Amino acid sequence: MLLQVDQLRMYLHLRRGVLRAVDGISLHVNEAETLGLVGESGSGKTMTGLAMLRLLPRDAGRIESGSIALDGRDLTTLTETEMVREIRGRRIAMIMQDPMTSLNPVFSVGDQVGAPLRYHDIARGAVLRSSVIDVLRRVRLPSPEQRLGDYPHQFSGGQRQRIVTAMAIGCTPRLLIADEPTTALDVTIQVQIIALLKRIQQDAGLGIVLITHDLGVAASLCHRIAVMYAGQIVETAPVRAIYRSPAHPYTQALLAAIPRLHATAKRLTAIPGQPPSLIDPPAGCRFAARCPHRMARCTEPPPMVDLGDGHSAACWKLAA
Amino acid sequence: MLEVDAVTKHYRTRRGTVRAVEGVSFTVPKRGTLALVGESGCGKTTIAKMVLLLEIPTAGVIRFEGQDIATMARPALRSYRRRVQAVFQDPYASLNPRLRVGRIIAEPILAHERPGRTALDKRIAEVLDIVGLPAAAARLYPHEFSGGQRQRIAIARALAPRPELMVLDEPVSALDVSIRAQVLNLLQDIQAEYGLTYLIIAHDLALVQHFSSAVAVIYLGRVAEAGPTGPVFADPRHPYTQALLAAVPLPDPDHVLSEAAAAGEIASALNPPSGCSFHPRCPHAFAPCSVDVPPPYRLAADHVAACHLLKEALP
Repeated sequence: MLLQVDQLRMYLHLRRGVLRAVDGISLHVNEAETLGLVGESGSGKTMTGLAMLRLLPRDAGRIESGSIALDGRDLTTLTETEMVREIRGRRIAMIMQDPMTSLNPVFSVGDQVGAPLRYHDIARGAVLRSSVIDVLRRVRLPSPEQRLGDYPHQFSGGQRQRIVTAMAIGCTPRLLIADEPTTALDVTIQVQIIALLKRIQQDAGLGIVLITHDLGVAASLCHRIAVMYAGQIVETAPVRAIYRSPAHPYTQALLAAIPRLHATAKRLTAIPGQPPSLIDPPAGCRFAARCPHRMARCTEPPPMVDLGDGHSAACWKLAA
Repeated sequence: MLEVDAVTKHYRTRRGTVRAVEGVSFTVPKRGTLALVGESGCGKTTIAKMVLLLEIPTAGVIRFEGQDIATMARPALRSYRRRVQAVFQDPYASLNPRLRVGRIIAEPILAHERPGRTALDKRIAEVLDIVGLPAAAARLYPHEFSGGQRQRIAIARALAPRPELMVLDEPVSALDVSIRAQVLNLLQDIQAEYGLTYLIIAHDLALVQHFSSAVAVIYLGRVAEAGPTGPVFADPRHPYTQALLAAVPLPDPDHVLSEAAAAGEIASALNPPSGCSFHPRCPHAFAPCSVDVPPPYRLAADHVAACHLLKEALP
């Protein structure tokens, strides 16, 4: 197993109180597998991604308990120096949502794609240039030889996302965390980046954690899906099971709430209310207040129920 | 009700002329919902701004109930400004953080009439009730509400002066999936109840199909295809509409996405391609496409598509 996260808790210590951003999540990613972390804003999916890299908000963010094992090595026990030298950008790389803000406007694209290669001692001098061209070719950036000296603003949004992807895969990481990699892109460009991520995974066999709110993008890229709600994972399953037989009421509600192409429903099934605050969240099931199947027991934390074939969901309804 | 007739908008910049909108025509029937669909930079927001009198067309005419909005006399213009209201994408940016919700909703009313205190408060409570918020919300500030609630406040503000046409610019794209459905249902209920006409701008095609009765697909400032939503989505005739629909990732793991339908990237409106502006990306492009701008071919009474391929296909 490539990545195994066990009972991870990451809290933000704010002046208003302790915000339980990631509250006891367990997940795993196999080699050459894409796991989708799906949820709404504030559900903790981005914080989970950042916690895996131990990139926490300064002062406020703290990993309280749990482990993050990459190839069997627990990242929570490493020093900051070890994280910088051996993990970040080397074994685990990350792609952020907005390719404009994750590129530095004052450095050329060649410099930026070359920086991680230089830092991790993968290529230097004359080899560096050809390595940079090679990785830009792998992300299908047109005529990379001519464009090494160009700056980010000279590229389109889709091309910038290709460049960011090149920076991420240059050091042949084991795991790629992609946080909403296509959200800022138009739909005809999005489809190109989705195809690119699939191709890179096939070529390099790397594991991907895809963080997204878009159930369409998740369906097109993921092998397995973990649905997050209010800092917790409420359901995990192979991709087909999530869409064909969702077990958790939240997953069911989410799938019913999205308009679908070529569907005939005149009305969407809205989810009433809104997610709870993660400062002092409810003791029991966090979805209970909005759940149509709520019962007395929902005031206690629901158990994660194993439904077989890698499908599990945290709901009292399933525990009977 | 609203007729946009061969409207063009050019912006002069130091780098040249940006051809944001290039001879766009469509009509929105009373109580109907027309969606402007297209990718970023295609000109759909510029069209909405011209309808809202925030921009002046370089050429062409926009008519409201048959009257040219550019040449309206003062009283007619005042009435137009009341009858046409807008809801914008970002409910964090569109509400003044320093005003109480009641004041925010009162502003468009006070711009047009001078009701007494009681009548005004009554109207504010009324529109808050329509959007599903308690009357007490009027005393609070925008920051005390969630994103979905703020969008309800923005809708209440638009409703306050009793408009007939609402321009909805990406009204739910800043909201979470579970909140989106609430707001979309609300907008549909309000439309049915008050007989409103909607001009909606959206990039989410599934949403457009669900929400609108007619659609105009815009590419680089021109209408590629327009018609009733049903036929356009069931049988898209313009290669760009086909590419857009093929590129939408569906919430279905067995759906295969087509990367081939639109190669390359969107050109710049500063220097649009010759002929059909979609031709460099079009899998069906042939000789005339790079030379002549395709005229809109009428496929049915109200379904048009601007593509040279259709010349042969039509009788």
